[in-house]
Order: sequence, then structure tokens, then C-alpha cells
Amino acid sequence: MKIKERSRDGVVILELNGKLMGGPDAATFNDTLKTLIHEGHRNVLVDLAKVDWVNSTGLGILISGYSTVRRSGGDLRLLNVSDRVESIFMVSKLHTVFVSYSNEDEAVRSFA
Amino acid sequence: MSHVNEPSQLVEVMLPSRLLFLGVPDAILMELAGDLPYEQKDIDELSTAVIEACTNAMEHGNGMEQGRRVELHFLFSPDEIRVTVLDQGPGFDFNNWQPPDGLMRERGRGITIMREFTDELTYDHAPDGRFRVQLVKRRPRQD
Repeated sequence: MKIKERSRDGVVILELNGKLMGGPDAATFNDTLKTLIHEGHRNVLVDLAKVDWVNSTGLGILISGYSTVRRSGGDLRLLNVSDRVESIFMVSKLHTVFVSYSNEDEAVRSFA
Repeated sequence: MSHVNEPSQLVEVMLPSRLLFLGVPDAILMELAGDLPYEQKDIDELSTAVIEACTNAMEHGNGMEQGRRVELHFLFSPDEIRVTVLDQGPGFDFNNWQPPDGLMRERGRGITIMREFTDELTYDHAPDGRFRVQLVKRRPRQD
């Protein structure tokens, strides 16, 4: 999995690309978040548009990241969740935890 | 690829125990099930379940030892797609398995996902002693 980082109106947008499935992905994602928090960023939007699929280990990575950001006083929200990825959130009941958006403008405004 | 009126067709694959290869069963199902009378949602669900089974086989069954292989059988039949996943681990007591508590737990969702995304899910040991998971998605009824 690759992570592309950009910033917009005080919100850091992390564009994930590939498959979210554990292994080195966990350290990559967590290290990215810890660096952002250390730099003072608190609002994180994770764009899943280019994520082919997520397995249960990948869900764990997102949960860990969510907890890390929330503990720092910020929030982690999702953008462009495909139907396939959405289904795994539904089965896991994690759609009740993660706030997701399909429109980037709306997602960025939600942090205001 | 086979049409529904053709006999069953079997595809067999051996994977090293590396997460890198989890995309292989997904690619096979996406490529070969495309012509079969399933909704994309059904294929996505089966593929997600098979990825979970392979993740468990690599991590818990084979202990991520690359020399230990995960064997996959994809049986495409007129009425169902049956995927068998075999690993070289001891297996576990599936009948008495209970999902861990806690919505925010970071592990322990794989079996729930497999159950929800398949029409039939069975665990047992193959005659040669390997741990075996079978995942079935049935053809939608044509009413």
C-alpha cells in the first residue's frame, strides 16, 4: 500500500493506494499518523478511492489509526469508500464508528 | 471461461505464506467469475471471504513461514463457486469459536466476515491432515 499526503484547509488528506491488509502497511500507516500528530496536525481524512480491498487486518489498521488520532484530540474520517469496502465495515459494525463521505469538499468542511 | 451449462471447472493454486500474495485469489475470482451469473456484490463478498481464509491460513496456520504453502482450489460449477483453502497448521475448534468482544478491537473479525459473506462455510481436516476451510457462494435463484 502506498500513501500520498496532501493538505487542504487544515485537513491532512491521506490517499491510500493498493490493498489494506496488514503486514508492513500497519507500521507505514501508524508512523505516518504519529508524524502528523507530532507536527501538530489533528484532522485526518483517509481517502480510500484507490484501495482495491480491505481485509480484517486492514480494518485493524484503520481502527488503530482512528484511536491514535482521537487520543490526540483530533478525528479521522473516511472519504470515497467503495461498495466493496463499505460492506466489510457494515458486517463489522464499524460503520457506526467511522464517519465517511463521498465528496471531498463536504468532508473537509466537516472538520470546521 | 465456463458457461453455466458446462461441466465444473477446477483451478488450483499454491501460494507462499506471504501477505503479498493475498491479491492472487481476488484476481482469480474477478477474472474467472465475471462471465458467471452472479452479481458483482456476490463475487466481491466471496473474494473478501477467501482473502480472510488465506490471511488466517498464512498467519495462524502456517505461522508466516514462507516455505509452508497455502493451497487453493476454485471449483466453478453451474450452481455454485466452491473455494477450498488448505494450510499446514493444526487448525482450531471452529464449532466452539466465539467472536472476541469489543467493537474497537483490532483483530478477530475474520471468521465473522467469512460467515456473513458465504452461503456455506466449513472447517475440517483433509484426509492428508492439513487444515481445510471451504467457502461456498451459490448461484442466485432464477425465479
